[in-house]
Amino acid sequence: MSLVRLAGASFTYAGADAPALRDLTLEVGAGELVALAGPAGAGTTTLLLVAGGYAPRVIAGTLTGERTIAAQRPAIVFATPWTQLTGLCHTVHAEVAFGPASHGRPREVVLVAAERAMRQAQVDHLEGRDPATLSGGELQRVIVASALALEPDLLVLDDPAAELDPAAADGLYRLLREVAQAGAAILVATPDLERVAPVATRAMWLEGGRVVKDGAPAEVLA
Amino acid sequence: MIGYVPGTSPLHRAHPYTPLAAAGAVLLSAFAVTTPASVGVIVLAAIALALVGGVLGRVARPAFVIALPTWLLLLVLHGLLGPEPFGLLGGVRISEPGFTRALVLGGRLTAILVAFLTVLAVVSPARLVEAMTARGVPFARMYLLVSTLTLVPRLRARAGQILEAQQCRGLALGGSPVARVAALGPLVLPLVLGALVEVDEQVLALDARGVTSGARRTSLDPPPDRAAERALRAGMAVVVIALFAARFAGAGL
Repeated sequence: MSLVRLAGASFTYAGADAPALRDLTLEVGAGELVALAGPAGAGTTTLLLVAGGYAPRVIAGTLTGERTIAAQRPAIVFATPWTQLTGLCHTVHAEVAFGPASHGRPREVVLVAAERAMRQAQVDHLEGRDPATLSGGELQRVIVASALALEPDLLVLDDPAAELDPAAADGLYRLLREVAQAGAAILVATPDLERVAPVATRAMWLEGGRVVKDGAPAEVLA
Repeated sequence: MIGYVPGTSPLHRAHPYTPLAAAGAVLLSAFAVTTPASVGVIVLAAIALALVGGVLGRVARPAFVIALPTWLLLLVLHGLLGPEPFGLLGGVRISEPGFTRALVLGGRLTAILVAFLTVLAVVSPARLVEAMTARGVPFARMYLLVSTLTLVPRLRARAGQILEAQQCRGLALGGSPVARVAALGPLVLPLVLGALVEVDEQVLALDARGVTSGARRTSLDPPPDRAAERALRAGMAVVVIALFAARFAGAGL
């Protein structure tokens, strides 16, 4: 089942002269893990924002072409964890539980989801810590846990391993593969081609806001 | 030190609405009374609040630093340049009604500052969020209040990081007053621009966490609101109303 579909989509940020995405067509289904790569300014972050439904709803701009998002529970993770904290929680547990609580899910469901997500992201030992006191790598794993606590059917991630050490980065990509195998659609933009290639089901190479290669990770990311 | 200070005082353990109500009562009472003696009592009440919260030492310095310039200005404007009759205080000719006015205004400011700095120090933003969530307060209102309460510590932390980074790049902070003011540019500009950039990403992060879902947020750990605290808050409201009633009845408080 297709969870995101773009057909001839272009996106121009508010105030920009040229589109950041041009005439892009994409379809991502449940269980797929799509790696997005390209040189700086290729449009991978913009593609994540558009595919996740955040642009132009939250990020101002103009979207043309067709977009269909069937996903009911999208979640997003950026490379900079400190800007993704709610600023309202004094413990990791509260931070992770914030998303499902905001959706009004029953208390017991929220707590179970938060605990499972903390275990998945291996931050359960940090649950009582103040997020502001964590290292960049720990914080990034907390943000990943916060996204997973939403039990997303569509997960978009922008360079999610930027703050992680090599072992934690390996663990993150293994986790993404497991989440995709459990039925979520995942789009991940990353320069970490060696790590993403073995876990991705498909890869796209972007340049200048256009897809220039789309296919098997081993071919596209080689 | 401005911002939350973890602790176990009665105010820390209280429902977050109780210290907020106390500070609100201090603010309103300060405007209900008009004589230096009565304002002095309100100042003492604010100091007592800080003492009960165990944070008087923490709030005294920022309260003094913020209030002092205003006190000086009030004493000069009203005390020296006020209307007749004039008297002598320590050999200085001062306006008696002006001096009284300065005491009242300065006292009000001091009481309000001490009370609200105490609230900042004893109310955990996380507990306040839980308390407001339990009452069904819309997220936008809750975020506006809590982010305002946490603004100073967050800006302070960021300013510290920028300061260290700029000093590593050779920014000198010492020297003449002019040099010190000139050094503010490389600090303030990144502070403001950085905060603006972060706002965009935080809006996105909050949206992704469902704050715009329209659902009523689930309260996970609502702080208990005991009957005694509810009665205390009602008592504060009664006192404030009584003070205003006395003022408008011409009681001369």
